Amino acid sequence: MKSKHLFFTVLMALFAVVVQAQTITGTVSDENGMPLPGATVLVTGTSNGVSTDFDGNFSIEANVGDNLTISFVGYASQSVAVTSMSAININLEPDNSLDEVIVTSLGVKRNVKALGYSVTQVEGSEVSANKTTNAINSLQGKIAGVQITGNAAGAKGSTRVIIRGNSSLTGNNQPLYVIDGITINNSNLGSAGVWGGADSGDGISALNPDEVESISVLKGGAAAALYGSRASNGVIIITTKSGAGVGEGMSVEVSSSAQFDDIRNDPYDPQTTYGQGRDYSTTSDNIDTYANWGPRMNGASVEQWDGVSRPYSYKGNNLRKFYSTGETYINTVAVNSTSKNSNTRFSFTNLSNKDIIPNSTLKRNSLGLNTTQKYKKLTATLNLKYVNDDAIGAPRLSDSPGNANFGIRLFAPSIDVNDMLGEGGLGTNADGTEFRTSDNTYSQNPWFAAYQYFDNSVKERFIGSADVRFDLDDTFYLRGRFGVDRYDYHRTSGTPYGTAYQPLGSMSEYKLTNNQHDADLFLGMNNFQIIDDLSVTAFVGIGQNYQRGQSVSASGSNFIVPFLYNVANTQNQGNGYGFSEKQINSAYGSAEFGFRDAMFLTLTARNDWFSTLSLPNKETPNNDLFTSASLSIVLSDLMTLPSIVSFAKLRAGYSQVAGGADSPYQLNLTYGIYGQGHQNASLGTISNGSIPNPDITPFEKDETEVGLDLRLFDNKVSLDLTYYSNETNGDIVGVSASPTSGYGSALANLGVVTNEGIEALINFSPIRNDDFAWDLTLNYSNNESTIVSTNDSGGNISMEEPRSRNLNVTHIVGEQYGALFGTSYVRDAQGRIVHDIESDGTPIPQIGPRKILGFGVAPTSIGITNSFRFKNYNFSFLIEGKSGGQVYSGTNAMSKYFGAHKATIDADGRENGFTVSGVDANGNAFTTSIAPNRIEDYWRRTYSIAEESIYDSDYLRLRQMSIGYTIPDAALEGTHIESATVSLIGRNLFFLSNSVENVDPESGYNVGNSQGLEWFGMPVPRSLGINVNLKF
Amino acid sequence: MKKFLTLILASSLFIACDFDKGFDEMNINPTKAAQIDVNNKLASVFLRTSGERYENWRASLIYSSMIVQHMSSTATYWTGNFYTRNDGYATSLFDRAYPQQVKEIEDIINQLNEEGNSGTAMGVARIWRVFIFHRLTDLYGDIPYSEAGKGYIEGILKPAYDAQQDIYMDMLSELEAGIGQLGANTLGVSDLVYQGDVDKWRRFGNSLMLRLAMRLTKADAATAQAWATKAISAGTMSSNGDIAYIQHTLGPAGINKNGHGEVFSADGNPRLSKTFVDFLQGDPRLPILGARRSDGSTNPADLIGMPNGLTSGALEAKYGNDNTVYAEPNRGVITGEDAPMVFQTYAEVEFLKAEASTRGWISSDAATHYNNGVKAAMQMLSMLYPNAAAISDAQVADYLAARPFDAANAMEMIHSQYWAATFLNEYEAFANWRRTGFPVLQPFGGEAVYDGNVTNGTIPRRLIYPMSEESTNAENFAAALSRQGPNEFTTRVWWDK
Repeated sequence: MKSKHLFFTVLMALFAVVVQAQTITGTVSDENGMPLPGATVLVTGTSNGVSTDFDGNFSIEANVGDNLTISFVGYASQSVAVTSMSAININLEPDNSLDEVIVTSLGVKRNVKALGYSVTQVEGSEVSANKTTNAINSLQGKIAGVQITGNAAGAKGSTRVIIRGNSSLTGNNQPLYVIDGITINNSNLGSAGVWGGADSGDGISALNPDEVESISVLKGGAAAALYGSRASNGVIIITTKSGAGVGEGMSVEVSSSAQFDDIRNDPYDPQTTYGQGRDYSTTSDNIDTYANWGPRMNGASVEQWDGVSRPYSYKGNNLRKFYSTGETYINTVAVNSTSKNSNTRFSFTNLSNKDIIPNSTLKRNSLGLNTTQKYKKLTATLNLKYVNDDAIGAPRLSDSPGNANFGIRLFAPSIDVNDMLGEGGLGTNADGTEFRTSDNTYSQNPWFAAYQYFDNSVKERFIGSADVRFDLDDTFYLRGRFGVDRYDYHRTSGTPYGTAYQPLGSMSEYKLTNNQHDADLFLGMNNFQIIDDLSVTAFVGIGQNYQRGQSVSASGSNFIVPFLYNVANTQNQGNGYGFSEKQINSAYGSAEFGFRDAMFLTLTARNDWFSTLSLPNKETPNNDLFTSASLSIVLSDLMTLPSIVSFAKLRAGYSQVAGGADSPYQLNLTYGIYGQGHQNASLGTISNGSIPNPDITPFEKDETEVGLDLRLFDNKVSLDLTYYSNETNGDIVGVSASPTSGYGSALANLGVVTNEGIEALINFSPIRNDDFAWDLTLNYSNNESTIVSTNDSGGNISMEEPRSRNLNVTHIVGEQYGALFGTSYVRDAQGRIVHDIESDGTPIPQIGPRKILGFGVAPTSIGITNSFRFKNYNFSFLIEGKSGGQVYSGTNAMSKYFGAHKATIDADGRENGFTVSGVDANGNAFTTSIAPNRIEDYWRRTYSIAEESIYDSDYLRLRQMSIGYTIPDAALEGTHIESATVSLIGRNLFFLSNSVENVDPESGYNVGNSQGLEWFGMPVPRSLGINVNLKF
Repeated sequence: MKKFLTLILASSLFIACDFDKGFDEMNINPTKAAQIDVNNKLASVFLRTSGERYENWRASLIYSSMIVQHMSSTATYWTGNFYTRNDGYATSLFDRAYPQQVKEIEDIINQLNEEGNSGTAMGVARIWRVFIFHRLTDLYGDIPYSEAGKGYIEGILKPAYDAQQDIYMDMLSELEAGIGQLGANTLGVSDLVYQGDVDKWRRFGNSLMLRLAMRLTKADAATAQAWATKAISAGTMSSNGDIAYIQHTLGPAGINKNGHGEVFSADGNPRLSKTFVDFLQGDPRLPILGARRSDGSTNPADLIGMPNGLTSGALEAKYGNDNTVYAEPNRGVITGEDAPMVFQTYAEVEFLKAEASTRGWISSDAATHYNNGVKAAMQMLSMLYPNAAAISDAQVADYLAARPFDAANAMEMIHSQYWAATFLNEYEAFANWRRTGFPVLQPFGGEAVYDGNVTNGTIPRRLIYPMSEESTNAENFAAALSRQGPNEFTTRVWWDK
């Protein structure tokens, strides 16, 4: 510990510098006349320099005849001659080319050129122009190194964001979200798994797209180290809009958007030639509506599943009959009030969404208040946000029970979903029970699934932060910050009365309160000139993050009064209570040294203590120190480069960060009483499913990155390249144990994962004038992950599996992250598939051992944005894609199993059988035609062979497009409207390529670490809409 | 300068902070206990041995009940009826028993050891441990036994597979030791099997010993005889009041319910097999066990069994019937979620004694044991199922008069009755049929071989291990396969060779 303390002591010594006396005073303001605190005023050619105070005032010892250089990040430096002893007032103009300001760790704004690591900042307009119900989805394809994967869960679903690859085998891999300085809880409230379920959304979906000022993505450890352990996966810093920068006085902004979703682009393309039936007959089985094994449809009258005879013919696209047009309306009103010493913004947003699946809606109301008050040396900012989500009908995904998306894709083409509404309507019989459409108890009538199953939730969230800064003098300031993120979540879900597999139904009420607070106190010094050419900016601080979750649940099964959905109205009732609490305490510091404003070295250190790694008498550490160093060298300022080079910078960063255990209470074995006993006996058991380990320590992640930032031809071409390499050591993993040990896994610090990759951002702005501008941006990233170690014996770590249960997403030593490890075809030396030949000659492929069939995480991402502006019109589109990954497609597996897939039909139809080539068990090659009534048996077997349903998940699509028009100022004269824009927008417009059959490649149902599993999720819709923005 | 010194001082205050104050306590889960009363754990392990719907559906009904032709189904996911392979179904008891039963019983024994308890609780725990493991080894063969369930206690993550012969020898001596520890009643209401009646536990322990001993008649007759006679002389079950079972309730949670009952609530596919209904002709049990699917009729004339191994299409094609004309387990009597789950019956014990007598191992009369067994098997139904009509002594006598014990055909008679008496104890029915070969079953009940079967048309001799063991316990799994044979339904376990 002593060596850790040394760092802080050294840092503090830097503060011990004597400040000079003063003779000349003045004020530095921005282009709007707002004072600029922290601007540097330097007597040119000397080391004599000061910073402006909070009101932009400075005083400096200088003589008449000296020149003063005034500079501030983001603004063009100015030189002013001292002509008299009177006050000098300077207005700095923004520098729009090189000296961009960016939000970095702990909300500190820094000049990009000083950064020795890669940070990408996206403006709020990128999020608000093409709004999505989960705003973070708008960043898809826009940031190199950041992979954003939506979920096939509909509008209410969650999103997986991964920066520079997955670095933890089984822990959290998603970044830390910081909104206005406060870390927020991004927990997923539930997603579908092998047995089905619904996606209950995540924390970041509360972000209001209309209120985002900017989003900074701290990708690597060097950028994020100051946030400590929770930032080991990078940090996404979101700054919301404030009243600053809009000019003094009152102003009102109104923005409205309407978007419409449809499934026109859904790639599902089943066969439409052969109708319902089995054994190539309509009579062998007319009950199983999924069986596509009947004869060629001929229009003859055939008795169907419900006893009604109908023409045996194609009934049209059931998907389009079932899914309707989704609608999303987002309306925002914001009022700004700005004066010299204060600014306030109040906003209200109403989002109203109707999903494409029937009976599924989301209403979200957001209120925001952001106010900053200045009084002398004190600045206080208060940020309050309230978000109310009211979600009806979260659609079920994955396994079939209650999943409307399941049946709708499998019905044989002679079956019409509109025949399934039932006597009672919406999928019910006259008595309200399920109008069954399949003989499989576990497959529901899709109408019944959508309208009668229920999964509704209300989430009320409050995020508040207070930030107080006190300027001790021109150099030092003290800053304190406290923030709260609290939400109350109430979910009511259930299986209705009258469902085939649970005739009496069941339901549950679940209430969760999650509370977290962050507190920080830090002492900082502004840019301070130590000696000639050398300046320092530094701070030290302490912090605390506390999180507590409390839940209560009540559930019941078997409704006594039919259709009365109240837990009290059930025969069998249960209840539960959950509690979890954890805390991280920290001490940290940072110092940035600048040399001639052209070389910068930033050092940071932070020590975190983890409650989750604490236990009485624990001998191994419960804390760890993280350090980082980064260097930026602006070559173009240090030396003369060829004239085509406008700017050149080299950067390098190294960091050592660490992470603690995500969950508390993992270090010891505990017991609990469960259920409500049995015949007066209480039931007690071990609570742990994993073998606890009291010796767990934090894991460590080392990262090195180097980069080049090059701008050429008067900034018309720019290139930003980054190479990084990181290694996670001692990852806390549940080492897979044989279930015969009694446990599924054992916790240990054994995982090692490496990621190595490149990120490239290339920008061409060949034309940029008042009337016309063209901007082309290409970003590319490629990440290679390697599992170096899983456990002491190098065993596999098995994770999620699809419902076919013939594959697990598995970490395998020496392979990429998340292998799709499943059953394979048995092949001979020549690669031919080995079959068993049945007595009638039908070949049935053998089921081979589990093999690596692919990897669920695509290593390569690409995004190409083209923006054009012609006078008042602008047009932009984004092409986005991923490649190199694979997906296990359950929809394809099932559609082959039931004969809905076109691959189950030969070019000359099924009448003549289905031709299969391969070898028999003795190695003899054959080519044979399976009789029409046996084709099903062949394809049923392929369902057990995971290899059959593996596809490359490569795609390239027109992700978004917008055409906008800004109404000319002249046209607005005489109105109260200051500015107005109208734009037409579209999302997911079409695929340029898609290597998966029948499903969208981004149709996973799992937002966790088990990527690459698809099983009857919601269609990924195409959206078209209009945006109107008005400013008064 | 003073100001800066103050600042340095202030920042060193940061450093002086105790940064993990209170963390030890914070990481102790306030909603859980460090240890609990062993009786609460025993109640739990009894219920979990009875099991959940999951494994009772899959390993018990979908595989075992179909294989022994107690039942039949036209739904092809009832894979045991077609000898087709569904890994998840076949491995379900293995998958659930270790984390839910073995883990708990090993924890109980560990706690009792730590507490120095070598009395009744320990005796009951050791007997129950044997019960849990004997079902597993009978169904799968060589299994993790001596090292199983000790992931926390001994840190064993990859338990070795013990040879079934070694498991049996150890189980028999464990039973003997456990029975010896039974003393005063310390279990009270936690004893969900015998409500604290230690004498009944002693008789159950000996009856289980008899079951295990007789299992070895093919593989090691001498050992079988030694343990069987030991068990019988020590005192086995003597009436239906000694039956080992758990009374289930309608809830509130799934674990309180009879797992088979939950299957019957959820799945309308199972029917009584033609093989079973044919055997029950003239048997007063038929209208208790069966009822016609279409209308619930229990008139014996209306009760026909469904042939095995036929899909609905094949059934319709051959017999012109849809599957609702056949008898199903009687929903008015035996399929309740509050039905008892039976582990061993007095009737079984009498049948095993009849066999021991036939083999000349004991001197008592085989015919008497046989008659006692039939009577017990018939009369236990009204005790176990309140809605079952009581079968009178006269009805039993009539039945037996029509089918007098024939010493020349003893094994077939005894074990056909054993098979009938173990309806809904499908694991036991499957094991006893494999050992004795009775009743004589034809593959698919004599129907055509189902294409796609994975047994070459023969009746399965075991269920298969989960393939996940191949990755999570590779070396031990490979050793088990090389000792026992491939992981197939047709591989015979040691006592079945």
